[in-house]
Amino acid sequence: MESHHKIGFREIEHTADAALKVYGDTFEQLLLNAACGMNSLMVKDIDVLIPRIKKYIDIEAQDTESLLVEWLSELAFWAETELLVFTRFNFLKVTTVRVQAMVAGARAKNIEKHIKAVTYHDLKIIKSARGLETTIVFDV
Amino acid sequence: MINIRDFKQIEEYLYEVPATFRKDMRVPARFYSDPQLLHGVLGDRSLEQLVNTATLPGVVKYVLAMPDLHQGYGFPIGGVVATKLPDGAISPGGVGYDINCGVRLLATHLDHDEVNPYIDDLASALYTNCPSGVGKGGSLGLQSKELDQLLETGTHWALKRGYATESDIERTEESGCLEGADAGKVSQRAKDRGKNQVGTLGAGNHFIEVDVVDKVLDDSAARGIGLFPGKIAVQIHCGSRGLGHQVCGDYVKRFQKSITKYGFQLPDRELVYAPLSSPEGQDYLAAMKAAANYAFVNRQVLTFHVRRGFEQALAGKVKNYRVYQIYDIAHNMAKIETHLIDGRKVEVCVHRKGATRAFGPGSKVLPAAYRDIGQPVLVPGSMGTSSWVLLGTDSSMTQTFGSTCHGAGRTMSRKKAKKTVHGAGLRETLEAAGIRVRAGSLPGLAEEAPIAYKDVNRVVNVVHAAGIAKMVAQLRPIAVIKG
Repeated sequence: MESHHKIGFREIEHTADAALKVYGDTFEQLLLNAACGMNSLMVKDIDVLIPRIKKYIDIEAQDTESLLVEWLSELAFWAETELLVFTRFNFLKVTTVRVQAMVAGARAKNIEKHIKAVTYHDLKIIKSARGLETTIVFDV
Repeated sequence: MINIRDFKQIEEYLYEVPATFRKDMRVPARFYSDPQLLHGVLGDRSLEQLVNTATLPGVVKYVLAMPDLHQGYGFPIGGVVATKLPDGAISPGGVGYDINCGVRLLATHLDHDEVNPYIDDLASALYTNCPSGVGKGGSLGLQSKELDQLLETGTHWALKRGYATESDIERTEESGCLEGADAGKVSQRAKDRGKNQVGTLGAGNHFIEVDVVDKVLDDSAARGIGLFPGKIAVQIHCGSRGLGHQVCGDYVKRFQKSITKYGFQLPDRELVYAPLSSPEGQDYLAAMKAAANYAFVNRQVLTFHVRRGFEQALAGKVKNYRVYQIYDIAHNMAKIETHLIDGRKVEVCVHRKGATRAFGPGSKVLPAAYRDIGQPVLVPGSMGTSSWVLLGTDSSMTQTFGSTCHGAGRTMSRKKAKKTVHGAGLRETLEAAGIRVRAGSLPGLAEEAPIAYKDVNRVVNVVHAAGIAKMVAQLRPIAVIKG
């Protein structure tokens, strides 16, 4: 199934670093919205990127929160090392401890905000009236 | 949220949240501040984060925060936490992702008047020679064997390759090489991130700055460390780049699994730890030391580039453009040190997260040149404002495990700073104030606007008045280079 994100994140205040509030009806949508939220921190004109470069991502973690951290860390790795920003996400299989996805993206001319790391700070995925929500703090 | 009723003032510049404040605290939480800085601290979660660190197993005496305290993740920025060997906690989050982020201060015999006609050329030469920004690799491109050597031997690797002098190494904390670094404990992904980044500045709050020694407050000490009024100096602020970030991330992840063995309820998952004596604790220590060595080399290779920039801009125009090193310090690190606690010498692991080691006179680990006067402490201010050179004191050894502040400390979020300040306008303002700016990103410049930081002079006043460092000299910026 290919997912198309609607606005499911917003940047919130953090004194030293960057933080996002992320929402999703499902965990898969939470992963998608978190990735789009991180993109919004990194790249200004995301819409000009034509997603021609594909990668297969297969990540396992010990719990759901850790999986979210690992997922974003993987995407941040490609942005740092190859300026590669993924904008299309085809989730092949998502469980609470594993995500398999085919992602597509393009090389950005410039990464405006360097995501040094995705932290576990106060990380909890909670169920709310909107489905799932979480707050992610990035070291920038 | 902690409010003013939850702590007491125990000295003019020292406050304490008692260990009785929360059931899980093992020791009190102390912080240095003044009434104005305190007001800022109460506006974010930094005190709550400091209190969280007081729950860590093996923590001794008290946890501390410096007056540049502000909210981080897990540990607050400005935090100092000592844990007792052999089984006390070591927490990768207590060091941070940018392992051995630090500051190097270089000096010259050049007068400001001599350099001023060429300052544009100098700023441009430094910007061209010192790669900055995300995805900008360095010129070295190391093979895996060579990277391993760098990780295990630090600046000695740089000396062999011609990037350092003996004097540079002598005037670097730990001589730029932490013993016990093990490249085998650093993941391949960390090495992949680091192999092309040696000698690069990165982005965020990292910078190179050309300064003038504006004011000397302790003439004898300033001369002792090689600083003279009116002369040009250079600061380099950066760390271990992607390699260090990955080492921290790898071990935070590994410790999330191993923590279940120790049956401890973490107030925040980012505080995850392992006992120092455990296999995973020892592995992290060895990997952290390797990343710290990488950071020392990174600043060393940048020093090499700075020297080349000076040569390109000033050769044939001024008499002596030699750039010599004053000191290089870490402000994100965990180190095994011996401190006097309740009258006994105790071996502890001192986590300094956004805090600087500030050893006083007589410390045997200091270079011979500084052993009688104390360790130079380098405190960069926010962009466009003063920076400070301080010295460690006897009192910092007894009060703060030999630690002091590390900078101005943020007070406004990056999001708000970008909304409040326009990058191009800020550059114009700085240029009008006589500060040349070379920056890869204007929004990035706006995030680092002086308005987003506390007043560094106030921070330094607190540590000086509290006796945990001594003012020596004030630097004024004339050129800033940023990613």
